[in-house]
Amino acid sequence: MAASDLKIRDGLRLGLGHLGYAAIAFVFLLPLWWAVVSSLRPNTRVFADVFPFTPKALLPSPVSLEAYVGIIQLGFGQIILNTLLVAAITTIAGLTLNAAAGFAFAIFDFKGKRIILSLVILSFMLPFEAIALPLYNVMRQLGWLDSIAALVAPGITNGLVMFLFYQFFRQVPMDYLEAARPDGVSWPNILLRIYVPLSLPTCISAALLLFVFQWEAFLWPLLAMPSQEFKVIQVGMAAFQQQYGTIWNQLFAVAVVTALIPIALLLPLQRYYVQGLAGAGIKG
Amino acid sequence: MIRQSSQALLVALLAPALLGLLVFRLYPIAIAIISSFYTTVFGDAAFTGFGNYASLFSDRRVLEVPPGDPLVQPPRQPNTNRHFPRAGPSLCARIPGRGRVPSVLFDADRSVLPTAVIVWRVMLSQGGLANGLLDLVGVAPQAWLTSSRLALYSIIAIATWKGASYWMIFIVGGLQNISPELYDAARVDGVRPWQRLIFITLPLLRPALLFVLAADVSINFLLFAPIYMLTQGGPAGSTDVLMYEAYKQGFIFGDMGRAMAVVVVIVAVLLIVVALQFKLLSAREQGA
Repeated sequence: MAASDLKIRDGLRLGLGHLGYAAIAFVFLLPLWWAVVSSLRPNTRVFADVFPFTPKALLPSPVSLEAYVGIIQLGFGQIILNTLLVAAITTIAGLTLNAAAGFAFAIFDFKGKRIILSLVILSFMLPFEAIALPLYNVMRQLGWLDSIAALVAPGITNGLVMFLFYQFFRQVPMDYLEAARPDGVSWPNILLRIYVPLSLPTCISAALLLFVFQWEAFLWPLLAMPSQEFKVIQVGMAAFQQQYGTIWNQLFAVAVVTALIPIALLLPLQRYYVQGLAGAGIKG
Repeated sequence: MIRQSSQALLVALLAPALLGLLVFRLYPIAIAIISSFYTTVFGDAAFTGFGNYASLFSDRRVLEVPPGDPLVQPPRQPNTNRHFPRAGPSLCARIPGRGRVPSVLFDADRSVLPTAVIVWRVMLSQGGLANGLLDLVGVAPQAWLTSSRLALYSIIAIATWKGASYWMIFIVGGLQNISPELYDAARVDGVRPWQRLIFITLPLLRPALLFVLAADVSINFLLFAPIYMLTQGGPAGSTDVLMYEAYKQGFIFGDMGRAMAVVVVIVAVLLIVVALQFKLLSAREQGA
């Protein structure tokens, strides 16, 4: 008797607790949900059920793809392609350069390694945006302003990615290397046949970091491309907002697409990403 | 370890990446420091020593910025952060002789993105959902972004919303690190839930909380997109934060020297936060 009473009380408490959590989750998710719903409405209906508020405001009725068609017509497809191009170059070049450096840190002993490694760590602990303004001056000196190189180059060398690879390669037993070297296997072969395949999970994590860096870049492309002829997604979005500030459903559609593309790309890779982190011994 | 066997290989592997770090990460800091001692007179650079800093620190507007910033708590991507499901232990990496380094991706996170800003701009517009819901409970519509009384707090709310899910990952990781046996033992001893919170959870969560506090505060010193897109520092300068101030000085008023002085201040503050973090984390290491 008493036991079943206790059970009911526990169950009730648990239920109420979860109700509370659900309410908090609802408040946090509400803006996202409203954005998706509104992007599926015709523009004239975006604010339809808000004043006075009815729950219908949270359902897309009537459903319309008008906004999505509209943003493609306004050239958003091109902007997305631009961003993918910048991100792809950054990712490929970044993987190569940072993996090479991480490998060197892990395998070789050399003078000043400690200091250089500390600088690498410092370089990723200082958020990139902090140096975006003086970086503009660097690019002006190089004459790279308004070129894709100005967008790509700062994204390639990434201290964090370097550090990830360093962590990973440090864990690979030296036996592989010690077995291959005396047999006269050349360095390129050792790298390509042994170390690259081993490091695939780390490569995926690193690629995700490099990709997201470019996908989310805002302040830097804003400064580096003063003529605004080549726009990347976040800058394109801000410009769109200034230009078409009252085409609400399209504003939402742009935001939804921008959020969904990296999710679609990264969700299937999430498992590798976590594995990569675990494999890289980031656990410490 | 291999010594001196392949000098050429070593250089070939290291040089490109290190050159990149040098040119695109370190050199800009040097440029910022140097140009912060110059001012622009009729388009020419003129040396002014600490003039920019002096005028910066005597500017009441600028001095007001730092106290406002830490309030602007967490900005981070709400949409993308789910790609970084880092568990608690992964917060720290061990490097030889240096204790634990929070290898958390400052780099991978940005301050609030245009994506989030756009959503909130419509949410907070005169006829938006926020006012609609307030209307339900009989509160008059508010000018969230256009009144100098509310604008800064609206931006703080946006940044908080944006960051919640990101920072949560670290807190969850920290919670998972607490051994369940402790709670079991506490329950056996008849410890009450609020006592569990105060005497077990919070002390053991301290490293995670400290990290989030430091990282969150420092990333918010770089808050830019919401100000640029929504308020341009207004109304009446109420949302003028450091990063936007630097942008405005350099790219709207064309006073690069002053802009760089602001950047140097930002970088210095961030370095102090990083140093504090190292210190706190290594203190924990020794204590443990």
